[in-house]
Amino acid sequence: MVENTVEMDPVEYTLRKRLPWKLPKRRNDVYVNMKTDFRAQLARCQKLLEGGGHREICVHGLGLAINRAINIALQLQASSQGALQLAANTSTVELVDDLEPEDPDEAGEPMTRTRNNSAIHIKVFYPDTP
Amino acid sequence: QALLIQHPEHETNVSSPLKSAPLLVPPRALKLGQEGFKKVCRTEEDSPCPFPGLAAGVLEMRVKEGSKIRNLMGFAMARMQGEKAVSGGDVSSGGLRQVVFTGSGRAVTKTITCAEIMKRKVGSLHQLTKLQYKVVKEVWESSEEGTSEMTVRRTVPSISILLSKDPLDPQEPGYQPPETLSALWEEKDGVESASQTACKRPLGPLSYSSFTHCKRVCLGEGVSVLPPQ
Repeated sequence: MVENTVEMDPVEYTLRKRLPWKLPKRRNDVYVNMKTDFRAQLARCQKLLEGGGHREICVHGLGLAINRAINIALQLQASSQGALQLAANTSTVELVDDLEPEDPDEAGEPMTRTRNNSAIHIKVFYPDTP
Repeated sequence: QALLIQHPEHETNVSSPLKSAPLLVPPRALKLGQEGFKKVCRTEEDSPCPFPGLAAGVLEMRVKEGSKIRNLMGFAMARMQGEKAVSGGDVSSGGLRQVVFTGSGRAVTKTITCAEIMKRKVGSLHQLTKLQYKVVKEVWESSEEGTSEMTVRRTVPSISILLSKDPLDPQEPGYQPPETLSALWEEKDGVESASQTACKRPLGPLSYSSFTHCKRVCLGEGVSVLPPQ
């Protein structure tokens, strides 16, 4: 998992997390995060399904936001009185951290480190049968 | 230990059997821990099995918040691979055919991680993922008087992941064929990008501005009604 076995010295390096990979961003993709207010994100999904005219949306959550993504999907389903269905898929996302030396004069070379995190992708949709 | 039991995104129904104190606190902002209450017990109510038609003897790994992944995986991998047949009754040398990982609340992420690790290590596993709310009943007792007791019913999101060496119904919502480690993304990307890029650009700024407006409104409301998460 960890390619570089060199231990990081917290004094000499700052850890900078890169943004997770390229995101497919359709108009019905919703990426859930932990910074935005929960109800705002729920309202956004409801808007897409009701006002936006989408038959299906895809709710994505990474790491800690998995819980919130599931919560949003289940809330959407509950408020639709059973009209909406959920189809969840899970995946592993590779994340890259940059280790930048604090003091450029000292020895440390810039390093990168990869780690894995779990993610969920929930399709929230109206079943085709009328 | 978390004293704040109420997250704004969880629903809570509070019922107080003994009307000892005027508990007129709105349930959404309830902090039992700070009012001298102690959690006595926590029971998960039985919920219907998300996989109907599953054989009775399937290994179910119940992932909890404090479970160690190495313990869970050590046990589950040994049973699935069947090399070290720990239980004498297990005659099948190839190990078990199926395993279910379940977890709720804060254990959901760990549950997914376990399933992902197993998929990577065992290989060619069919997956079925189901989500549901689980009802958790908590009994809280007042530490001051000892007489007042409160029962809290909480609904927490839970996940169940079935991993199978045998094929599963691909039509079932939540099915994932083997070896979709990163294909999930690329596939979607490729299919959709051609049809979407055309209409994406002109509509972009419009939808963006309406979203920021909506966000601001909701945030203002959230601050006044609810404590920060």
